Amino acid sequence: MEVLKEKVEEEEAAEREDAAERAERGEKMMRLMEVRKEETTMTQEMLRDLERKLSEIEVSIPEKPSTFTKDTIDISKLPLSYKSNTPKEEHLLQVADNFSRQYSLLCPDRVPLFLHPLNECEVPKFVSTTIRPTLMPYPELYNWDTCAQFVSDFLAMLPLPDPLKPTVQEEEKAPPKKYAIKPPRDLSSRFEQEQEMKRQEEIKAAEEKRWRQEEERLMEVDSAKTDPLHGLRVHSWVLVLSGKREVPESFFIDPFTARSYSTQDDNFLGIESLWNHKNYWINMQDCWNCCKDLIFDLGDPVMWEYLLLGTDKPLLSPAEEEDNGANDDDDVENLGKEDEDKSFDMPNSWVEQIEISPEVFETRCPNGKKVIQYKKAKLEKWAPYLNNNGLVCRLTTYEDLECTKTLEIKEWYQNREDMLELKHINKTTGLNIDYFKPGHPQALRVHSYTSMQPEMDRVMEFYEKARVDGLIKREETPKTMTEYYQGRPDFLSYRHINFGPRVKKLVLNSAESNPRPVVKIIERFFRNPAKPADEDVAERVFLILDERIQLRYHCREDHITASKREFLRRTEVDSKGNKIIMTPDMCISFEVEPMEHTKKLLYQYEAMMKLKNEEKLSRHQAWESELEVLEILKLREEEEEAHVLTTSIYDTKRNEKSKEYREAMERVMHEEHLRQVEAQLDYLAPFLAQLPPGEKLTRWQAVRLKDECLSDFKQRLINKANLIQARFEKETQELQKQQQWYQENQVTLTPEDEDLYLSYCSQAMFRIRILEQRLNRHKELAPLKYLALEEKLYKDPRLVELLKVFV
Amino acid sequence: MHQLCDMEPRVMDDDMLKLAVGEQGPRDEAGQLAKQEGILFKDVLSLQLDFQNILRIDNLWQFENLRKLQLDNNTIEKIEGLEKLTRLVWLDLSFNNIETIEGLDTLVNLEDLSLFNNRIAKIDSLDALVKLQVLSLGNNRIGNLMKIIYLRRFKDLRTLSLAGNPIAAAEDYRMFICAYLPDLVYLDFRRIDDHTKELAEVKHQYSTDELKHQENLMQARLEDEQARREELEEHKAAFVENLNGSFLFDSMYAEDVEGSKLASLPGVAELMETYKDKFVIICLNIFEYGLKQQEKRKAELDTFNERVQEAVQENQAQGRHRTAEFEEKHLLSLSTIRGESELTDIETKIADQREDIAELSNALMTLEMQLVEQLEETINMFERNIVDLVELFIENVQSLMAQCRDLENHHHEKLLEIAINILEKIVKGELDEDLPDDVRALFVDKDTIVNAVGASHDMHLLKIDNREDELVTRVNSWCTHLVDKIHKDEMTRNRRRVKEINQYGDHVQGELDSLECGDILD
Repeated sequence: MEVLKEKVEEEEAAEREDAAERAERGEKMMRLMEVRKEETTMTQEMLRDLERKLSEIEVSIPEKPSTFTKDTIDISKLPLSYKSNTPKEEHLLQVADNFSRQYSLLCPDRVPLFLHPLNECEVPKFVSTTIRPTLMPYPELYNWDTCAQFVSDFLAMLPLPDPLKPTVQEEEKAPPKKYAIKPPRDLSSRFEQEQEMKRQEEIKAAEEKRWRQEEERLMEVDSAKTDPLHGLRVHSWVLVLSGKREVPESFFIDPFTARSYSTQDDNFLGIESLWNHKNYWINMQDCWNCCKDLIFDLGDPVMWEYLLLGTDKPLLSPAEEEDNGANDDDDVENLGKEDEDKSFDMPNSWVEQIEISPEVFETRCPNGKKVIQYKKAKLEKWAPYLNNNGLVCRLTTYEDLECTKTLEIKEWYQNREDMLELKHINKTTGLNIDYFKPGHPQALRVHSYTSMQPEMDRVMEFYEKARVDGLIKREETPKTMTEYYQGRPDFLSYRHINFGPRVKKLVLNSAESNPRPVVKIIERFFRNPAKPADEDVAERVFLILDERIQLRYHCREDHITASKREFLRRTEVDSKGNKIIMTPDMCISFEVEPMEHTKKLLYQYEAMMKLKNEEKLSRHQAWESELEVLEILKLREEEEEAHVLTTSIYDTKRNEKSKEYREAMERVMHEEHLRQVEAQLDYLAPFLAQLPPGEKLTRWQAVRLKDECLSDFKQRLINKANLIQARFEKETQELQKQQQWYQENQVTLTPEDEDLYLSYCSQAMFRIRILEQRLNRHKELAPLKYLALEEKLYKDPRLVELLKVFV
Repeated sequence: MHQLCDMEPRVMDDDMLKLAVGEQGPRDEAGQLAKQEGILFKDVLSLQLDFQNILRIDNLWQFENLRKLQLDNNTIEKIEGLEKLTRLVWLDLSFNNIETIEGLDTLVNLEDLSLFNNRIAKIDSLDALVKLQVLSLGNNRIGNLMKIIYLRRFKDLRTLSLAGNPIAAAEDYRMFICAYLPDLVYLDFRRIDDHTKELAEVKHQYSTDELKHQENLMQARLEDEQARREELEEHKAAFVENLNGSFLFDSMYAEDVEGSKLASLPGVAELMETYKDKFVIICLNIFEYGLKQQEKRKAELDTFNERVQEAVQENQAQGRHRTAEFEEKHLLSLSTIRGESELTDIETKIADQREDIAELSNALMTLEMQLVEQLEETINMFERNIVDLVELFIENVQSLMAQCRDLENHHHEKLLEIAINILEKIVKGELDEDLPDDVRALFVDKDTIVNAVGASHDMHLLKIDNREDELVTRVNSWCTHLVDKIHKDEMTRNRRRVKEINQYGDHVQGELDSLECGDILD
């Protein structure tokens, strides 16, 4: 279980892009310099300075990285845990320092430990506490591969100022950044850059070696041949230990490429230390043979020196446990120490929990777009729906290092209505291959072509289960068409058609199609178990020009030769001028087991007539196939033109229909709510409030209440009527005034003023009319409303008893 | 009755049949060909002989492939002469004078039978028609509604017509039939609706349930019997049938008069008891051993067959491949030769092709010879193994049988001892018990009793010997038979293959020759 937990944590850590949960100070010769603020570390640094000149150089560097890390973070908004250490954390830092001192004493040759880098607030934090296992609501993050993919996508690469020296400060600053905003970028970027560069350079080296051997180029050979930085680069990556969650053996994950590597991989030259959120281990094994001989049994203190003798021993192999019996003495010795150490539990992480919104998760890369440049290749990624043709990924490979001559383009699409999934364009051969997911209207699966013109080289593959005719594949060349079938009731499996040159029509009618003449049709059939082999045709060939039909039957179970039959259709006339219907030489048969009835001319004649008929059908079929090709080509062009994208009905954000529906529903709900609120308006409330609260109403009070309520309502109605009346009168007066004024000044008025006056008149008339209507309506409705309220009051649950008695 | 009745009855002779076949045969060009070649009766699939005033069905034995036969509107009185028409699917005998259903026992493929408008009073003799789907028995004289139950056995029967029979007048007629023939879809040319079906089912539920129960019981019994029979067959195949019990022991005493008499002697009963127990145990041993050995032999045979099959398949695949390759080339060269105009070129090409044919023949023959050799070896090995197995089996069974004999001898001695004791007692007059007269008759003197015991003993030994002999003979004959069959099969296979190769060679050669002839003629 513990290991299982670890696995989960590791994955979570990867989510967080910490990229260094199990980070190991990579190469053997790696220089990892830690600049520590404490005085003790200063002395160490002094010592180091004496020993190595490099450290001096490092001291000078730190300023640079901070320039590009700081800008994005607003430290003031960070929680307190970022800015200070708890007593426990302080304690831990002391322990770590102590540990570090002992370590540098015992192993003076090794690189100092990466234990407590500074965070963005310039506070030293122990590396393990920068990890906070978090469960995210995305199923993709539950397994290492998709999770690592997400992390790598999420990271944006920034090259380190100096790939050789990932300075301590940088590293220290990196982790805090990560946590604050989707932080891992900085750290990851540097590491990734390094890893990427290392990888690139190694590939380059290998490639160039080959290149040189082939073409004897001198140019880049030198730099490629020997990597001066080999073994000096620093990297941190993720180690997944075997044991739980069906992980058969330990492996590495590179956080920037999301690729997994075997622990035997040559690229990983060594491990300095590793940590998770619970503990910190130093590798005590020799890395002379890269990581190939390392044993990842963290429970073995000989191989892995732990910082905290924690409660958890992540992995203790059974053999180890057995050994424990023999090591009892040691255990006893260690007992006291152990107890002491146990008091240091790893403090809780100081980091805030990471939050990834669904939008950000879907967008993945910053701004939804990411470009990765590889040697001779470029990978571009987009978030779904970002491009309106559904393009989500494009891989371009180039012939040359400068990436000018394109070799191949691969484009991946998503959510396309025509189900196009991948487009593969080979620039050298001009061959395009389109791959489709199931669901294309013509059941297309793969379409490879050089040109969209008909009667050219082309292969179409289909989802045969979605087709009524069971067509799997149709291959075309300018002169032939070959079709492969599966699962047909007539057992047809293959049809090959040879076309002759198109005959020029005397009357050129462009509207009419002019199909090419069919020269030869070969059809093959699967064995039909219901028929005996001798009667089950395996292949038939219609040689249309020769008027010859060849049949080959299936081979019998225990035979090596198959029956065959050849019909030669000749319409001849005998000496008397009669038409010869059928002669024995018109049908040449070879029968494995000679049969009697097939010798009959009648049988042969009938067979031939049937075949003639079927030849017609096959020719028709060929014609229809040609038509279908044309139709598909047209459809494809239309689809390419329109490139409509589909949205899942579960995608509430993008699905317009469902959005509208949802909004409509919400509106309805809202209105409903308003109505309810209104309905709940208590017409008695103001009157009840006048009475002392909590007392029961007396009959007298009830009657008074009712009367008051009614009279109040009456008053309101009268007021309203008066209000309307007043407005009406006011408008009328105003109008009269204006009319008076107009009549007086009519002669002197300018046309503009007249227009103004007329428009005022019409508006005023409109207002007056409306007011009149409202008044009339009010007069009509007022008594009804009054009665309605009265009735309501009689039925009011608070008054009903009292009033009833009264009535 | 219709007008034709007055005419002279006609005989179904060759001329009539020929005429009918000719008239109903192919038309137009095909008809011309048919006329030219003549049609064999056995190629005819359908024959129509209505309104011919036929009295007696005859001369139909040649129509062995006939699927559809129409003999309606004649004066036939008896169903006969249809025995050879086993492929018949459709038979129309309506509007005749048939009184009983008969002569249909070989027509196992019949699906549609019409006996409309005859004089049939009883539905029976249709047992062989397991595929029957449509049965038309309207306008007959069927009077017993209960006899409809007979039709329950036809699981595919969907259409039935019985209108115009006395039973159709019965009040319950329709309901009854629907209830008893629930799978029926059409009755008297009308679809049975679900409602009627439900009603009928409810109405007759009690009796149909009982009927079903009985049918199920019968079915179960049949299945039991079948299972028992199969088990016995299995035991027989292992040559140890009836050894899994006291059958052999009982048979020893079945015809042994003296033995049963002696069994009543005092003390013999206990003796018999233990003897029987021991004997049965040995029998069981033989039985189990036999079954085990049978398994072994079967496994051996299966492995052998499998291996042989594999080898043959592989060889065939090679042969097919060669032939296909050749075929392709052959076709190509034939068409080039056809297209060639230069005579010398043609000749060289033909010569080349001839060589190719010879080469193919040789290659195929070589393959075949290889296979024959391989198989020969394997078969011999198998033969040795199976003979060894059988010998071992016999040996062990014999030793077990010897144990039986020992038991018998032992028993015999004991019995003799008791018998002589009793004889002595009788002689001395000391015998307490009373013996039945016939038993007492044995104790006349010593010879008699010794003979009697001896005879019983001999009888027992004989039975044991017989059983042993039977087993040994049968297993031996099985073995020889098996080995012979394997040899014979292999020989047939080889001959067929050689014949096939030759035939194919001849054919392609012939094709080439005809080409040559044609060219020369041109």
